[in-house]
Amino acid sequence: MSSTHKIAILYGSETGNSQDFATILSQKLQRLHFATTLLPLGEFNPNDILKVRYLFILVSTTGQGELPRNANETTTGSKKTLWSLLKKKNLPEGFLNHIQVAFFGLGDSSYPKFNFAVRKLYNRMVNQLGARELFDRLEADEQGMAGSNKGTGAGVEAVYFEYEKKIINFLREKFPMMKDSQGNRVERTEIDPSVYLKPKSYLKFAGVTTENTPVINFMGDESVKFGKIVANNKLTADDHFQDVRQLIFTNREESRREIDYNPGDTASIYPNNFDHDVDTFLNNQDQWLSIADKPLEFTNGVPDSLKCIGGIVQPLTLRNLLKYHIDIMSIPRTSFFMKIWQFATDVTRMERGQEQLDDQRDKLKEFGYDEDMQELFDYCNRPRRSVLEILDDFLSVRLPWQYCLDYLPLIKPRSYSISSGPSDPNIELTMAVVKYRTILRKVRKGVCTTYLSELPVGDTSLRYKIQNNNLIKKELHNHPMLLVSPGVGLAPLLSVIKTDNPVISKNIHLFFGCRFKDKDYLYGNKLEEWDAKGRIQLHPVFSRDRENSPDTKYVQDVLWKLGAEMTDLLANHEAVFFLCGTSGRMPLQVRLTVIEMLKKWGGFEDDEAAKDFLKEMEKDGRYIQETW
Amino acid sequence: MSQIALLLIHPAVTTTPELVVNAKAVAEQSNITIADQFLINKVNEGSIKLKSNNYDIIRYLTPEKPEEIKFPKKLIGTLKDALKLNGHLYGLSDVYKIDAVVNGFEIINDEGKEYHWIKKQEIKATPQAIPLKSKSAASGEMGAKKLPNFKKTPLPSFKKAPLPTFKKASPEPKVAKVVVIADDLDDDLDDEEDDGVFSDSTKARYLDVNDDDEDESIDEDDLVNEKSGNVAMIVCGKSKTKKKKACKDCSCGIKEEEEQEIDNIRSQQDKVVQFTEDELTEVDFTIDGKKVGGCGSCSLGDAFRCTGCPYLGLPAFKPGEAINLNSISDDL
Repeated sequence: MSSTHKIAILYGSETGNSQDFATILSQKLQRLHFATTLLPLGEFNPNDILKVRYLFILVSTTGQGELPRNANETTTGSKKTLWSLLKKKNLPEGFLNHIQVAFFGLGDSSYPKFNFAVRKLYNRMVNQLGARELFDRLEADEQGMAGSNKGTGAGVEAVYFEYEKKIINFLREKFPMMKDSQGNRVERTEIDPSVYLKPKSYLKFAGVTTENTPVINFMGDESVKFGKIVANNKLTADDHFQDVRQLIFTNREESRREIDYNPGDTASIYPNNFDHDVDTFLNNQDQWLSIADKPLEFTNGVPDSLKCIGGIVQPLTLRNLLKYHIDIMSIPRTSFFMKIWQFATDVTRMERGQEQLDDQRDKLKEFGYDEDMQELFDYCNRPRRSVLEILDDFLSVRLPWQYCLDYLPLIKPRSYSISSGPSDPNIELTMAVVKYRTILRKVRKGVCTTYLSELPVGDTSLRYKIQNNNLIKKELHNHPMLLVSPGVGLAPLLSVIKTDNPVISKNIHLFFGCRFKDKDYLYGNKLEEWDAKGRIQLHPVFSRDRENSPDTKYVQDVLWKLGAEMTDLLANHEAVFFLCGTSGRMPLQVRLTVIEMLKKWGGFEDDEAAKDFLKEMEKDGRYIQETW
Repeated sequence: MSQIALLLIHPAVTTTPELVVNAKAVAEQSNITIADQFLINKVNEGSIKLKSNNYDIIRYLTPEKPEEIKFPKKLIGTLKDALKLNGHLYGLSDVYKIDAVVNGFEIINDEGKEYHWIKKQEIKATPQAIPLKSKSAASGEMGAKKLPNFKKTPLPSFKKAPLPTFKKASPEPKVAKVVVIADDLDDDLDDEEDDGVFSDSTKARYLDVNDDDEDESIDEDDLVNEKSGNVAMIVCGKSKTKKKKACKDCSCGIKEEEEQEIDNIRSQQDKVVQFTEDELTEVDFTIDGKKVGGCGSCSLGDAFRCTGCPYLGLPAFKPGEAINLNSISDDL
């Protein structure tokens, strides 16, 4: 159903922020009767670029300075994207001279490669391929220390709204007239905010009543696979605060167990909701109850937005959509409120009648439209409040089921590093079950890790894809390796160590850090066995366990302690340095430690020289950082 | 003969009890008998009914500033009904000027006199002719009185009205009018002159992306070394930087602050969730022995609760019903 409009809004989004801003922009333009194409950069058909005249790009940057995954590849893993086309060397200079473009970058200046993705796009498209910039691009900084909001005290949303304002001003000025339904040219007007914009394709009852089979299937994405759970073990002690799991699964069809992956590759998991949460939703929106199991179909084909959900559930019913595709446990974003506030209509559920209904409508609208997002942030983000809980607070809301895939967030897959050896048909994940508390009484649980942790052995419903990330270049095999991982960062490193046919390297040092030797020493026995057999040289460190770790706390302490030997490997023997684990200060501190090591033992005169060497290592793929 | 008065109290007056004390002292001096004293919420929810034509004076006590008063508009008519003709209503402000006039009050805003409203003869609905002038003359207070200024004030808004009020449970929600964005709207854009150096057909031959040869592609990393052009600064940042969120491995103390805040709020919750059902009926709008602030918003859910509300973090509930502990009890 894709027909590309002359105005295209393309986004690259890792966590969903850019996607939300793109959705808001698309809503606002449509309300001014501008038809827009809204897609992830990776899903946009590259050939359609010739049809586009006005291009709006909103993109965040991953930790490595790269475009987000949904900008770099299609959901089925194909690399035939707009970006890969634009990177072709043979394109002529004026290739994009039919396009006027405006960029919005979303970044965080605490990462070294701040807003690199948008700069790459800008340089290629504007400086090299001749696209004309409508106005200087905007770069938002989460920290407020750089980019367009540097030192203004304004948040990233202020930068977005500036971007939006410039675009709307430009388009309104350029196209003051529009065609009305009779085809007459009339002055361009804005659709009233209380009018819900009907999506191009939405749900209706299926014309033919198909036999209601209980068998769940997924259509439309051939690349999605189904796993059978082989093992689901808790790795940490019962009294440890964190529940770390070893989850092993294999393709449920025996004939399809052969699978190609390498150390550093990830499994992308499509979680689903628990039945009791689905029931809670249906009881809240009880007008859906009587039709929850009726077969449905789309009025005008499968909407574009459903490309990224790992195939569409069959039979297509509201209950199945709620269970498999609609992210009722997620924290909703601005565009959710923008779309649903009009549905606050049911005064019968208001203890205080019309006045309370009006209050609820006003509040929901404020969440959707207020440019100062503080209220929304305090109500939703800080306490991590889910869609389900919000509907419970706003009982006036009666959602129309026909459009539910337009206004409710969809479940996105989550990626986990694989910890089994290359191409092992028994795919192993090592992940921590996410659980934390906020001011809300109910414990917050990670949707996906909770889902995984409750999968029983033998279950065959796990939906997954394997993503090849090509982290360790083939030509670097047999180089010495320094593997560094605090905590569950160990997962991809296990895969490196398990590469035994042939062994990936005869000189592997593993620096593993955790809190206590007897509580969260993940695979401790296995690691020590490998160490004893000479497969690796193990350097464990326990941050809260003085007895077993008397003079070191963190992995960087041990690196420093073995500084002379490790620096020699890095500086003189082309060793690969592979760092995994949580993002934040850890990778920064490890990096600083390596720079200091290079200075002290590597013969590098100053910071500058050491940093240059490190950058060279990165370029050669010898300094790999996989943090999340 | 002493005048009969009603004190209406905003629940949050408990934070400024001197308001009540003062009002009573003034009444005593002026030979006014305070016949009743009610919480505004009780009147608003209908659990207390005011008698018609009963009071000479109604005084509303609230800690809010006059220009920030939030008052249920529908109660203005109720209060008018409870007042005798020419009775005085103190304590509201020009925020509700329009409602005052619509309900047949006259606004007295003289220097040297306390601002108040006076109940006048019922005016019949004649929207185009609100007899302000004659009324002010009739009140006998000539001179410095300011008339309510309607120039810039919008007429009573009926924007909110069009939603039908469902008296009975409606199985289907009212779906707002839905508009399909016409697909051909961007025909407008056709009058763009095409000043492209290459025509589409020339460009089209570069579209064959079948060859996956990496060598034929530029190196992304080279793109960020080039000059990166200008970045626009935002002109005005209406929004503030959000309260800083602790990083995963926070060491600057924000994490501890957050934990502390969560602990505080939770220990408050512990107190309120232990209320018995009887206590909960009282919880909402009590002054004496109040368990919580009586802003009236506690039951409405976090989106409407005050900062510091002991119910923060708990679901919305029906006033008087025990909070469903099952839905909130699985602690870490």
